[in-house]
Amino acid sequence: MTEILKFFIGLTVLTGALLSLVTAFGLIRLPDVYTRNHAASKSATLGVMLVLLGTLLYAYQDTGSFHSRLLLGIAFIFMTSPVAGHLISRAAYNSGVKLWGNSVRDDLAKHRKK
Amino acid sequence: MFEIVLMISLFIISLAMLGLIYRVIKGPTIPDRVVALDALGINLVSIIAIVSIFLKTTAFLDIILLIGILAFIGTVAFSKYLEKGVIMERDRNS
Amino acid sequence: MAFQILLNFFLAFIWMFLKTSYTPVTFLVGYFFGLLVIFTFRRFFHTRFYGYKIVAVIRLFLIFNRELFLSNLAVLKVILKPKLDIKPGIFALPTELKEDWEITILANLITLTPGTLVIDISPDNSILYVHAMDIDDIQEAIDGIKNSFEKAIMEVSR
Repeated sequence: MTEILKFFIGLTVLTGALLSLVTAFGLIRLPDVYTRNHAASKSATLGVMLVLLGTLLYAYQDTGSFHSRLLLGIAFIFMTSPVAGHLISRAAYNSGVKLWGNSVRDDLAKHRKK
Repeated sequence: MFEIVLMISLFIISLAMLGLIYRVIKGPTIPDRVVALDALGINLVSIIAIVSIFLKTTAFLDIILLIGILAFIGTVAFSKYLEKGVIMERDRNS
Repeated sequence: MAFQILLNFFLAFIWMFLKTSYTPVTFLVGYFFGLLVIFTFRRFFHTRFYGYKIVAVIRLFLIFNRELFLSNLAVLKVILKPKLDIKPGIFALPTELKEDWEITILANLITLTPGTLVIDISPDNSILYVHAMDIDDIQEAIDGIKNSFEKAIMEVSR
């Protein structure tokens, strides 16, 4: 039983770490703030959620008690990460960061002009 | 075996943090840096979680919540500063 | 809704007194039986049975999780593709939701959908400005948002 549980813990932690790596790769590779924000607000959330889930399973397996604080942490990150992404991208747009050169459409600028 | 997997995960996350630090230093605009700093905070949370598995302790679980909250508050403060030039405003209705 | 929950607690306490055992397990069993009673008599209340609302909340939560996984796969595909052939852009999305918290939940859901990110909301809360990673296949994203998310949120708020 513990071996199977350990296997699952290792799998979730490793997947979360790989997702964090993908986030960093996306942040380096993508061309402007808005597209980078896509990578940061999605992959990072799922990555850290998986790592915390693994920790929750391990703490349960190790001590036999259910640590609800980790569950709180998962819920908190799940709720706040999209909000943070939205706030940064809005601040970027309002402080005048240009879209990438290959962007094709900008309805917001059109509506602002009216 | 289990410890080796944990070690590999720690190494991967440290690599990711190095990449994010590159973005913090280079980033052409300030919002770029804020995005990277936010992701750094979130990666710090996962590093603490893995270390607490590694050391077989549950004492660090409070720190996870604390750093998550601090990263979020920092991001909110940064974005407000970028948008309005102040963090706390007197006028509640704007 | 509040009245039904209060009635349910009342029934659970009655169950506890009938059984003369005051443990949490008895309370939960009584709460469950009270729920059954209220469900049976649901046509005699003015408001809807509140279990439906709980089911709607759970469904919304499951939609959240599914979108998180799907969007991660989509972002992975874009990032790991050797050639960067995306066409980002910002489009306007009119919404029918009125309340502030509904729009907050919708914006969070859109941020978690594959390849979309809310940038701004018009001052009268009627239009969301959404940044899309690839604007070509945006029509089906709009349809998905309109059909599944708005409907699920309305199901909760009704």
